[in-house]
Amino acid sequence: MTDLTRRAPWLWRALLLLALALALLPTTDLLRLAGSLDAADGMVAIVDDLPPESLVLVGFDPDLGTYAEIRPTVRTLLADLLEHDARLVFVSLTPEGRALAIAERARLLASAVAPERLMDVGFVPGAEAALVSLARAVDGTGDGLVAGLPDEPFALGLVIGGNDIGPRSWVEQFEPRVVAVEIVAVAPTVLLPELTPYLESGQLRALLATPRDGAAYRESVAPTPLGDFDGPAPLAVLVGVLVAVAVLGFAVVSGLGDSLRSSRGREPA
Amino acid sequence: MNGLFGAEPIDQLATWVAALATLIVLGGMLGERRLFAWSQHLLAGLATGYLALLAITEVIVPRLVEPLAADPGGRPELVLGLGLVAVTAATPWLPRIFGAVPLSIAIGALAAFALGGAIVGTLLPQLAAAVARTEPSLVATAVSAAAAVVTGLVVVGFLHGSPRGRIFGAAATSGRWLMLAGIGGWLGYLLLSRLVLLIDRLAFLLGDWLGLLS
Repeated sequence: MTDLTRRAPWLWRALLLLALALALLPTTDLLRLAGSLDAADGMVAIVDDLPPESLVLVGFDPDLGTYAEIRPTVRTLLADLLEHDARLVFVSLTPEGRALAIAERARLLASAVAPERLMDVGFVPGAEAALVSLARAVDGTGDGLVAGLPDEPFALGLVIGGNDIGPRSWVEQFEPRVVAVEIVAVAPTVLLPELTPYLESGQLRALLATPRDGAAYRESVAPTPLGDFDGPAPLAVLVGVLVAVAVLGFAVVSGLGDSLRSSRGREPA
Repeated sequence: MNGLFGAEPIDQLATWVAALATLIVLGGMLGERRLFAWSQHLLAGLATGYLALLAITEVIVPRLVEPLAADPGGRPELVLGLGLVAVTAATPWLPRIFGAVPLSIAIGALAAFALGGAIVGTLLPQLAAAVARTEPSLVATAVSAAAAVVTGLVVVGFLHGSPRGRIFGAAATSGRWLMLAGIGGWLGYLLLSRLVLLIDRLAFLLGDWLGLLS
């Protein structure tokens, strides 16, 4: 086996890819990625409480590398907001976020969503300073640097995070200046430790930041005419986690064996 | 699932290009480095082109050229900003003091916004949230108190080099272990999230490209 691994070091990685690919093929209802559906209660309640024709400011700044993790949840949430007759105003503060915002907005327009429900403020350069300008523009005390915002109050701020300017920046720069607009967020897992304190302190009203939370949200909302956005296949996730646990276990046992051998080697004959 | 919308030939072509790029990147995982390096160059080139396009179409033209062309004398702040940018670009040929002015303004403004936001938006609200308080139920009150204790222990764990007694040292050690436990839980979630990203790419290949998934 060791000889084989030396000759073909890529073998285990290829087998992992093959196992994951095979695990995608069967469809089963026995496994669910979502844990308790309660994880999504906050987001569901906020969207349900929105009055018709509400304006929602969508700060769209995910990261290209991790967007795939939150994409089904983001699409479901946008579809759910449109289903509740909300009007979305897209704004991006990072170039990557702008690229993804253009793609998602184009996808929604191609799905026959009316353009007036998908307003676009575009890319606002300036990082934190841009966020302050945006907050002032929303608050009506703007300096004219952010143009294209409708002259109506916003009901909610939705931040799609992942990039440098994400939910934390919104909580630090936007929320203290525009107290009337509550903020909810969808973010990849890498931001979980950074954002959980804001959720606990109430500075974020709702947060979906793990694959489990996202799956719980997707299961909690009714299917929309814009589509049913599936997340990752639970069987493939299970296979991957089992492989990871096996690798970890092998490393631990191997380490224990090495330390045992070295301690025996130190014993006097 | 995640392919480009539409069934036009250009959409299908884009899906093929995305599938080939995905195969090349996965090939890097299996040891094929030359094509993988080429794909990295492709990404860097595309990103540079995109950034240039974004800067021209969404920043320079609408926020600088058009306002100046419409009212050349009415926007002195833009002229001043343009002058500072020109000075920054000419820094190698100017005395250092000239280049230091625009850079100081940029770095100082960035730090001021970030620091002010961190204090007003994070430090003070989080300190307030970490204080134990009585809640409607006994369990909630206990959880609030436990959270305050954990916060205190982790903060103590960060106090390096200060004089310590046995109790203080034990508290610092507990705080570090609590923090490690938290990081361990987060790493578990992170493993799951990276798996989700890999599975997404495989699902793209099998579903959107090959049409094998329903």
